[in-house]
Amino acid sequence: MSDTDPVEKLRRTAQDEATTDEFRVTGVMMQYYEVCERELWFASRHLEIDRDNAAVVRGTQVDDSAYDEKRRNVSIDGMIAIDVLEDGRVMEVKPSSSLVDPAKLQLLYYLWYLEHIVGVEREGVLAHPTERRREAVELTPENEQWVEDAIRGVHDIVTQETPPGAEEKPFCESCAYHDFCWSC
Amino acid sequence: MTENYHVFSDGRLERHNDTVRLVTEDDEKKYLPVENAEAVFLHGQIDFNTRLVSFLNDHGVAVHIFGWNDYYAGSVMPERGQTSGRTVTEQVRAYDDPEHRRQLARKFIRASIHNMRANVSYYDNRDHDFGSVITRLDTQQERLEPGLEINELMGVEATARRAYYSTFDDILPDGFVFGGREYNPPKNEVNSLISFGNSLVYANVVSAIRATALDPAISFLHEPGDRRYSLSLDIADIFKPLLADRVIFRLVNRQQVDMGDFEERLNGCLLTESGREAYLKEFEQMLDQTVEHPRLNRKVSYQHLLRVEVYKLKKHLLTGEEYAPFERWW
Repeated sequence: MSDTDPVEKLRRTAQDEATTDEFRVTGVMMQYYEVCERELWFASRHLEIDRDNAAVVRGTQVDDSAYDEKRRNVSIDGMIAIDVLEDGRVMEVKPSSSLVDPAKLQLLYYLWYLEHIVGVEREGVLAHPTERRREAVELTPENEQWVEDAIRGVHDIVTQETPPGAEEKPFCESCAYHDFCWSC
Repeated sequence: MTENYHVFSDGRLERHNDTVRLVTEDDEKKYLPVENAEAVFLHGQIDFNTRLVSFLNDHGVAVHIFGWNDYYAGSVMPERGQTSGRTVTEQVRAYDDPEHRRQLARKFIRASIHNMRANVSYYDNRDHDFGSVITRLDTQQERLEPGLEINELMGVEATARRAYYSTFDDILPDGFVFGGREYNPPKNEVNSLISFGNSLVYANVVSAIRATALDPAISFLHEPGDRRYSLSLDIADIFKPLLADRVIFRLVNRQQVDMGDFEERLNGCLLTESGREAYLKEFEQMLDQTVEHPRLNRKVSYQHLLRVEVYKLKKHLLTGEEYAPFERWW
C-alpha cells in the first residue's frame, strides 16, 4: 500500500505519529458512508441535524435507555467510542433493524480498529432492543476487506470540496438532514 | 416545537415544577406547555428571573419581547448548542467577498419583488386593475443587473416597495387611509398594522435563524448592524408580503379589526391590546397554514418555510450549492 492510502493514513493518525495530514474516521461516519454519501459529507462538516426530527429523538432515547446496567462506554484515542459488555464483547445498539448493513459496518469498523490499531481481538454483538434481537458479528477476512474499502470510500467523500448530489432513497424521509438536503 | 405563545397581560412568568406559569396581576394562574413551544412572545409588562431563562434554555424555547411603542424590543435566545465556527466563518467570507455579497443581496430582492407581485396580481385578478403596478414591479426586476452595488440594489427594492404599497389604499376599504409608509412611530392605522406584522415576521425569522448555527447579525443586503439582527431583516423582507400583508388585507376586509382597535399615543397610531390579539390570532393561523412543497415532497407550514429558508442559505454558504430564495410558487 502506498503512503497516500487512506487506511495507512488512518493508522498513522491513530498511532499518533507526527503527521500533518490527519485523517479521522468515527464509527458513525462508516455508518453514514453505507447509508448515504451526502449525509456523510454533511456530518463531516458538522452541519447540525434537525433535533426535532422524530427518528433522531427516538434513536437517542433507545440508545440512552437500553442495557444500561451491563454496558460501559469507552472512548479510544478520541477516535472511536464503543460500548463494551461485561464479557468484553463490543456492542452496538440500533433502534431498528431496517438498516442492518450500516450498523454492521460501524460495528465491524470498531472491531477492525481494536484489532489493527489497538491490538486486541474482540467479538461484536449487534442489538435491536426494541425487537429483542441480537446478532453476533465477527471480523472475517471478507469483512476486513469491506471495512478497509469503506475507509477509503469515506476518505474520498470527506475530502471533496462539495457534497455528492442528492439521491432519493427509501429512508430519506426519516433522515435528520432531510429538509436541509432537499431544500434548494 | 412549533407553537408560539403570546402573553398580553401584565404579571409574572415563572418556572413552576416542569412547566411555565403565568401569574397575572389579579393572581390568575395560566400554564404554558413548553414541550411544543417554539417561542414565547411577551406583549405586556412581565417579570421573570434567571431560573425561568435557564429552564426555557433547556427546552430550546426563545422569548421575544415586544414593547407597546417600539414593537420588537429584543429576544432571550436559547443557546441550544447550535454554534459552529465553520458556519460563521463561511458566512463572513461571503459577506466580505463583494461579488458574493451582491449576488446574495440581489437574490433576496428578486424574491421580495416576486412575492409583492404575487399579492398584487391576486387582487388584479379579482376586482382591481393593477396592471400598471405590475408593470412597475416587472421594470424593477429587470433593473436587477448583476453588477449593481448594494445601495443601488436597495434603491430598486425601495422603488418596488413604493409601487407595491400604492395598491394598499385600493385593496383596503374606505376609512383605512394608508398614504405611504411611515414608522417610528406609525402615523395611521395601516402603518401601525404593517409595523406590527413586520416585527412579528422578523421575530419568527430570528427564531428560525437561531435553530441553525448561522449568525443572525451577519447579513448581505442590509448592512450588518450593531443593534439589529440584520440577517433576519434580509430574510424577513422576502416573507412580509406572504405573512404580514395578507393578514392585514384579510383582517380589515373582513372587518375583524376596525377603527376602534387603534389608539393615538406618542404622536403615533398604535394597535390596542384587542387589536393586537385579533392580528395575532390571524397571524398564527397563517403560520400554521400549509402548502405542498415540491422538493420536500410533503406539506409544510408557512412557519416551517422560514426554517427551510435558513437551511437553504446555510447550505449555500457551506456547500456552494445554488441558493434560490423563497418565491411563492402557488
